[in-house]
Amino acid sequence: MTIGIHVPILAIAVPLLGAFALPIFAKVHRNLRDLWAILVAAFTCAMVVALAVQVFTSGIQLYTLGAASPTATVVQGGFPIRIVLVVDGMSAFMGLITALVGLASLMYAFQFLKEEQGKTLAMTLFFLLWAGMLGMEYTGDMFNFVFLEVTSIAACALVGYRTWESRPPEAAFKAMAMYTVGGLLVLLAVGILYGEYGALNIAYLSSKISGTPLDKVALGLLLGGLLMKAGTVPAHMWAPDAYGEAPAQAAIVLVANTQASLYGLFRVLFTLYGGALSTPAVGWLVTALGTLTLLVAALMAVIQTDLGRLIAYGAVSQIGYMLLGVGVGLTVISSRPDFGLVAMKGGIFHMMNDAATVGLLFLAAGVVKRACGTKDLRALGGLGHDLKWTSGFFFLGALALAGIPPLNGFASKFLIYESSFRLSPILTAIAVLGSILLLAVFVRAFQGVFLGPRLRTVQPAPLGMLIAMGVLAAIILAFGLVPDFFVRHMVTPAAEALWRGRDLYLAAVLGG
Amino acid sequence: MIGNFPFAVCMILIALGLWTLLTRRNLIKLAIGITLIESGVNLFLVTLGYVRGGVAPIYTYAPPGARMVLPTPQALTLTSIVIGLATTALMLAFAVVIYRHRGTLDAGKIRELKG
Amino acid sequence: MRLVTGQGFWSPLVWLALAAGVALLAWAFWFRGRRTYKAGTEQDMPFLSGEQVPEGAHVGGQHLYWGFVEGLRPFVDRVQAFHTGFLGDYMTWLVVLLAVALLVVMLT
Repeated sequence: MTIGIHVPILAIAVPLLGAFALPIFAKVHRNLRDLWAILVAAFTCAMVVALAVQVFTSGIQLYTLGAASPTATVVQGGFPIRIVLVVDGMSAFMGLITALVGLASLMYAFQFLKEEQGKTLAMTLFFLLWAGMLGMEYTGDMFNFVFLEVTSIAACALVGYRTWESRPPEAAFKAMAMYTVGGLLVLLAVGILYGEYGALNIAYLSSKISGTPLDKVALGLLLGGLLMKAGTVPAHMWAPDAYGEAPAQAAIVLVANTQASLYGLFRVLFTLYGGALSTPAVGWLVTALGTLTLLVAALMAVIQTDLGRLIAYGAVSQIGYMLLGVGVGLTVISSRPDFGLVAMKGGIFHMMNDAATVGLLFLAAGVVKRACGTKDLRALGGLGHDLKWTSGFFFLGALALAGIPPLNGFASKFLIYESSFRLSPILTAIAVLGSILLLAVFVRAFQGVFLGPRLRTVQPAPLGMLIAMGVLAAIILAFGLVPDFFVRHMVTPAAEALWRGRDLYLAAVLGG
Repeated sequence: MIGNFPFAVCMILIALGLWTLLTRRNLIKLAIGITLIESGVNLFLVTLGYVRGGVAPIYTYAPPGARMVLPTPQALTLTSIVIGLATTALMLAFAVVIYRHRGTLDAGKIRELKG
Repeated sequence: MRLVTGQGFWSPLVWLALAAGVALLAWAFWFRGRRTYKAGTEQDMPFLSGEQVPEGAHVGGQHLYWGFVEGLRPFVDRVQAFHTGFLGDYMTWLVVLLAVALLVVMLT
């Protein structure tokens, strides 16, 4: 009995244990708590990376809960009754994003959070959110709405735990109401599917779904709930509220959480309904919503005066690019031309890039908030004199987010532009316009916050926070300068797992 | 015909909850609306698992050869109830905090975050 | 070392080489220019429409791209008007999104 075969469940169970054991260790001593947090995070990251390496080299990894052997997914008769974890290329890729963001967030949190302002609480919630996201990404079962709700609760608590301020609870209430309704829509859809086919396993459902009216109602409900949770216009308004008011180390995890919902959406569209979607209508819906999202959010970012909300709108507009890329892929999936796969690669590559760039911007904004006590652009200026590293990181993140070559944002946006142009040049024009708007937004933000004469003297960021930002900056540079390496070894397996991996997925779970 | 009655009740509950969310402005009432939707969904799940004349799905207690109701929806519903409790508690807690800061529960006036 | 998209390719290293070439060219032009700059004179002052710039003046972030934002004003105003911050509106838009998704799925 080696630990190797239990990797998928350990990657979920360890942060969950870490979350609930953390307050107990904190009661004993703060250093013990920090040591525990580091141990749990290191172990989780090791599990996630090991799993990703396994998946990228040898294909889909399975883990059946409660079975004699982890690969015994079905009982006699080919019916899966146990909960199954299925990790294919896309799940492994999402797991890597989650692990990266979680690591950066935790490194940042040690020196960013203050003991008397609920540091233990915030770290507990962080681990809970982390476990929930990994659970959503690795599950092969529609029962995963549990993890959806776990992430909702943990995320909203992270947004609003600073109850001594007036705005965070408002943001948290709004996000919670939206999340809960979205989660219930998903649960209703899961109920409909269960009522129809008597199973919750994604692979089994996928083999049965044929496009009956009830299937379609379920798909509509899933689309509504998951698109909302991913922050798609017009149901995106909770996102800038929540991102803008969350403390920096939480905002970056919230971005990864949005992407986990996006992953859920892609899993539903490509794997669960992969056999029943013959018309491009849903693909066009996703593409249109993506285009609308990136344009509206970029326009809203132009007029923001609060640095947090400004970056939050930038983050929402990046979701639009991902939806656009994958939507183009979904639109043409039945005819399968080459550019469909390129579009999927662009959309999926952009998830990793978005996590790194938006994360870096949020962390830099957190340094500004910590140093000045405000994020209002009208009151800030000249911070570059004291926060040299932070301003450099912010500049790098801003350029990458706006898609300036040779940084990573350009590499993924280039794939999206080139492929969406083949579908419709209008999409590309709007996508480029969105990038131009974002460049204007972030030049404004950078100039307003960091340039100009010194208005006040502030303390520079402590080393731990700089290292956390440095990790993300290194990712931006690495993915920008050698995109082909990462695309070939990480993004292509992930894109192909969605694009034509449904049969492999079904065969792996159901056998034969 | 009468067998579909529970489904109709579920849909009515969900519609009532949505109606509450769309027309009411008090934060507590919004929380109640969400709870209504939740009850509708839970009832839907339990109804799905019902088998006419079925007994509780506990193998050791069931008489031999008895028909059992489906256990999975009950597990789903239990999970959903627990999660519903957590979300409702969290939302009401935030409502209390908001009231302390703003002195109002009117969602139309709690609009510091906009634009 | 390149990212092939089917229609073209993207190679950051080629781009960096080209950028270095352009920078070199720009530097060559600049180097051949006339040297009339004198340190410590008015040439050191920022030029702001010929006005005297007060000490410590800072053009804040909200002033930059002013014309750009004004040009976008009609669109921005319309978009901003629907971000009311009222939870009921958020819910309405969620229901609209749900209705659109259901319609698209059901009609095809």
